[in-house]
Amino acid sequence: MYERPTLNRTATGRNMTEETTITAPMPGVFYRRSDPDEAPFVEKGDRVEAGDVVCLVGVMKNFHEITADAAGVVGEILVEDEAPIEAGQELVRLTSE
Amino acid sequence: MTDQRIERVSLPKPRYEFGADDYVFVELDQAMSFDANFQAMAVTQQIRERDPPGLIEICPANASYMIHFDPDEIGPRALVEELKEIAAATDLSEYQWETRVVDFPVLYDDEWTRETLMRFRDNHQDPDSTDLEYSARINGFDGVESFIEAHAGAPHMVTMVGFVPGLPWCFQMVPRDRQIEVPKYVQPRTDTPARAVGFGGAFTAIYPVQGAGGYQLYGRTPLEVLDVEQRLPDFRDSMVFPNPGDVLQFRRIDRDEYDAIREEVEAGTYEYRIEEVEFSPERFFEDPTGYNERLTEVLYA
Amino acid sequence: MISVEKPGVLTTVQDVGRDGHYHIGMPPSGAMDQYAHAAANYLVGNDADAATLEMTYQGCDLRFGEDAVVALAGADMTPTLNDEPIPTWEAVAVEAGDELSLQYATDGARTYLAVAGGVDVEPLMGSRSTYTLIGLGGHEGRPLQAGDELSIGDPPGRSADLVGSRVDDEHVPEYADKSAIRIVLGLCDYRLTEESKAELCKAEWTVTPEADRVGYRLDGPDLDFVPREQPFGAGTDPSNVVDLGYPVGSIQVPQQPIVLMRDAVTGGGYATVGTVVSADRGLLAQRRTHQTVTFEDVSLEDALDARTRNEAALEAIRSSLE
Repeated sequence: MYERPTLNRTATGRNMTEETTITAPMPGVFYRRSDPDEAPFVEKGDRVEAGDVVCLVGVMKNFHEITADAAGVVGEILVEDEAPIEAGQELVRLTSE
Repeated sequence: MTDQRIERVSLPKPRYEFGADDYVFVELDQAMSFDANFQAMAVTQQIRERDPPGLIEICPANASYMIHFDPDEIGPRALVEELKEIAAATDLSEYQWETRVVDFPVLYDDEWTRETLMRFRDNHQDPDSTDLEYSARINGFDGVESFIEAHAGAPHMVTMVGFVPGLPWCFQMVPRDRQIEVPKYVQPRTDTPARAVGFGGAFTAIYPVQGAGGYQLYGRTPLEVLDVEQRLPDFRDSMVFPNPGDVLQFRRIDRDEYDAIREEVEAGTYEYRIEEVEFSPERFFEDPTGYNERLTEVLYA
Repeated sequence: MISVEKPGVLTTVQDVGRDGHYHIGMPPSGAMDQYAHAAANYLVGNDADAATLEMTYQGCDLRFGEDAVVALAGADMTPTLNDEPIPTWEAVAVEAGDELSLQYATDGARTYLAVAGGVDVEPLMGSRSTYTLIGLGGHEGRPLQAGDELSIGDPPGRSADLVGSRVDDEHVPEYADKSAIRIVLGLCDYRLTEESKAELCKAEWTVTPEADRVGYRLDGPDLDFVPREQPFGAGTDPSNVVDLGYPVGSIQVPQQPIVLMRDAVTGGGYATVGTVVSADRGLLAQRRTHQTVTFEDVSLEDALDARTRNEAALEAIRSSLE
């Protein structure tokens, strides 16, 4: 299931970079990887395209893919892997140019 | 080897418990017995016939039953009084019912349940055995073959339907000292094939759909117990096949027969082999082996 | 016609439920919060048994293909109509081409969208409710997906007059309210020690992320069982009983409690130790994952009284809209 996150856009700086924050569209458990043995979907500094999966939220026995709304570079990852999260909580920062 | 009668159990006083404001749960015994189950079936059948106002669900179970009701139509305490009255008027010795004897082919030790149970070895009491090997050993059988012979060697009665639509709990129609008893998995599996034949406590269960489960896995039947689309002729009246009181004869089949039956089931043409019989608890209690033989003779005549 | 543009986390067609089939293993399904479901229906002039859309945690985006009167009741999911905020617990007119859009739930967990005439899927065994486990009822037996199209039934003549009508504030529940969920102890509660029975009603339980339409699994202190030699047929674990029927709303204790909800298994081999009163089952369904739940043991009479008050509140809503 592909869910578009809510994006909070704030224009930062002169050279038209835009920092956005991906927030949780639902409460649940935050997962950085699809399986404990797998590498995380993204690390700080990774370049992502629009539609790329950045994390999962697990709730009601299902995992929901959270995707980037626009191309950009992954900034701060704001939540620990497997931490409980609330809907609306900020998850991952993204800088696009 | 044993006293061949079914030893009668004198049931304790039933416990009437309120499930909040709209359910009554009636425990006839904490232990499983034919006495407890036949009492549950007889009383719930009497309740259906009397049809008091406000009843939404009447659910017989193995050694208990449950009523869901609308308290705006019948007060919970008045309902319990009525249930007690019905129980007092129900005499098992005068009781018999129309039921079905059904041929239920089973492919024991099939590749699908074997693959599943091997995948979940870490959830099991005995990771080094198969479920059949473990169950045979703890029940004092000398091996899997004689264990399967015992499981398929006498019919099983459907004593409850539920969990999910169509799942029958089946209690084998033999004296207590010949009953198989096994624990459930230590940790339930997250997967079980549809139509798996499993065993937990003193009950055989047939899983209607793929899903989680904790019963020991013995085989797979080519027959459906749930047909949501009602394509098969024997599901014309209900999407669920088993009814409490049905007598299922598990018949050991080989892979060729399994595939042949499965083909007919998938084509929607298979007709279950069923005989209608009058079931008499008294006569069954007296001579279960002879009575079972007569029941299944009808089927395979 | 209503077109689903974004389906949300879990959106299903539900009504008052599919009664009468519990004995074959079929749970009732139906709206988890029957109060909000009925209120939404009353607001648009429907009877309580019309089908609504139940949205969980995150609502959906819908495009209307025709004019309609709608109402949202239950959790607040910040609804907008063509990007303009609209109220919940109030009848709203929508026009063909309008987009109704919901966000995540900020207060409560489940929102019901009623539309005058009801969501018109084919009834099955007397109900339009979705039972996803075996793919039965509702829209193709499953949660809604983007691209799904839903028909609307014939709207009652008076629905247009109801636009702007609201449910009185006194009848709008407070989901943030941390008040205890009332239960009647019983069933097989003899399996728990006296200390554990007291603990069940004293502890703060946390709703786990698995909590869903099948069951609300709760996290909290360990419970202890009375030691016994297990009766024949029950199985070896101290939590095991000879398989029996489970009331909807009952609390089973494989170890940590699970409250069985409207898509639950109808029976099984775990001890049940009490039942949530009918009036509070919908309030429990409005608790979100990670929120806390406490239980209060009440008498049968208190449970009946709670039911009467709940029905009176719904009747007050219904008659205020006449």
